[in-house]
Amino acid sequence: MSTYGTPGAGPAVFDPASLPPDDNVNPYTFCVELKGSQWFLQKGKMIAYYGSIDFNGVGHGRLDRLVRTSFHSPLHASDWVVAEGSGKMLLADRAFDVNSFDLEDGNLTIRSGNLLAFQPTLALKQSIVPGFLTLIGTGKFVAASNGPVVFMEPPIRVDPQALVGWADCPSPCHHYDHGYMTGVMGGLRALTGLGGVSGEEHQFEFVGAGTVLLQSSETLMAEQATGSVPHQAGVPGGGASGTPPGQSGAPRLPGQLGDLQRRFGL
Amino acid sequence: MAFREINAKMVEATVTPGQRLFSQRGAMLAYKGEVSFTPNTAGGQGGVMSMIGRRVADEDTPLMTVEGSGTVLFGHGGHHIQVIRLAGDTLYVEADRLLAFEGSLQQGTMFLGSQGGVMGMVRGQVSGQGLFTTTLKGHGAVAVMAHGGVIELPITPQRPVHVDPQAYVAHHGDVRNKLSTALGWRDMVGRGSGEAFQLELSGSGAVYVQASEEKL
Repeated sequence: MSTYGTPGAGPAVFDPASLPPDDNVNPYTFCVELKGSQWFLQKGKMIAYYGSIDFNGVGHGRLDRLVRTSFHSPLHASDWVVAEGSGKMLLADRAFDVNSFDLEDGNLTIRSGNLLAFQPTLALKQSIVPGFLTLIGTGKFVAASNGPVVFMEPPIRVDPQALVGWADCPSPCHHYDHGYMTGVMGGLRALTGLGGVSGEEHQFEFVGAGTVLLQSSETLMAEQATGSVPHQAGVPGGGASGTPPGQSGAPRLPGQLGDLQRRFGL
Repeated sequence: MAFREINAKMVEATVTPGQRLFSQRGAMLAYKGEVSFTPNTAGGQGGVMSMIGRRVADEDTPLMTVEGSGTVLFGHGGHHIQVIRLAGDTLYVEADRLLAFEGSLQQGTMFLGSQGGVMGMVRGQVSGQGLFTTTLKGHGAVAVMAHGGVIELPITPQRPVHVDPQAYVAHHGDVRNKLSTALGWRDMVGRGSGEAFQLELSGSGAVYVQASEEKL
């Protein structure tokens, strides 16, 4: 995949004809071919283009219909633009690894900051899990990750920062290292912060059929706002019920497990 | 073998009962099976004395013990990972570059001054190693982190290797190293080449060099 094919040959030079259509140019750049078609992309991820391509903000009068059919989260529509026209455009994001994925009548949930672009044949919706977006339908999308994406089959437990997304609905839930946090030593650790934390007391657990996408680093990409959810009782992140005031929002000190202590009766 | 490279930035380790691993805290990405992670206050092997030794030497990277049965994926900070297999010889590496290593390896600290006296200490300062470095000895595999890709350069008695101290990652084998200086009047007037200090490694073994001059 190197752009430097043979040593000494120098970098490969691309022109509009030799740029690969809908494929990676190198691990960090993806080329999208537009033939009168449309693509959704996150603002600021286009680095160059050939041909005549228009970039319009979503929710722009005549694009209203598009928003209705394939963009179901009007609350964060301002983060996205629609590219239409004909030509080839290059997408990249801070030298992260970029890859395209095909969905065929499927569903995939992805961390909002990792999604770069998608075809309007896919419908983008907010996930129930805060900070994640779900793509439903058939089509292609482009995602960035720190290091190549690794696909794993459930059952698996994943570090929260290493999770990129999941496909075909394995049920995601929290897993806590119960044995480590309870007991005399666990209580002492939670109270004093002494004894250290392994940093691995909490994972996301996936079971069931499906695929889990991992990135090879714990460095997160900048979170992209997914928009607020309706303030209703029963909506996760809606804030209308459940969490008592003052519990959330306070920064958690290292070695302190916050409300977990309370939950395990410590 | 305990470590399998999945890509340049991720390794998969197989844990079986009775065979434990040490890894840097927080470096686990995902795991399958029943695996437990216990913080290691002693920062590695040995008793209290070796823990104090590491504290004094500033080589006490937070480690955790990984036990159980299953597979664990490790990666950290988007750094490139190099798996080094040791067959009885000693690996010299900075503790904060250690991502994970097998429990069969003997961990220790070494005073750089014991290898070349005052010049060894100067060398440690220049290469960012400080006055001490960590040693791992025995049979087993180590996953080492580096900024940018890593290349392995073999050292043979006839062919010593010169390395930029900032790009030095680790070395193993029967290797003597010394700092060679090429300081001249140009460096004094600020027109140096920027390569005034080099690490010269001679003997037989291998040195690992990263494609960057950035420290971890």
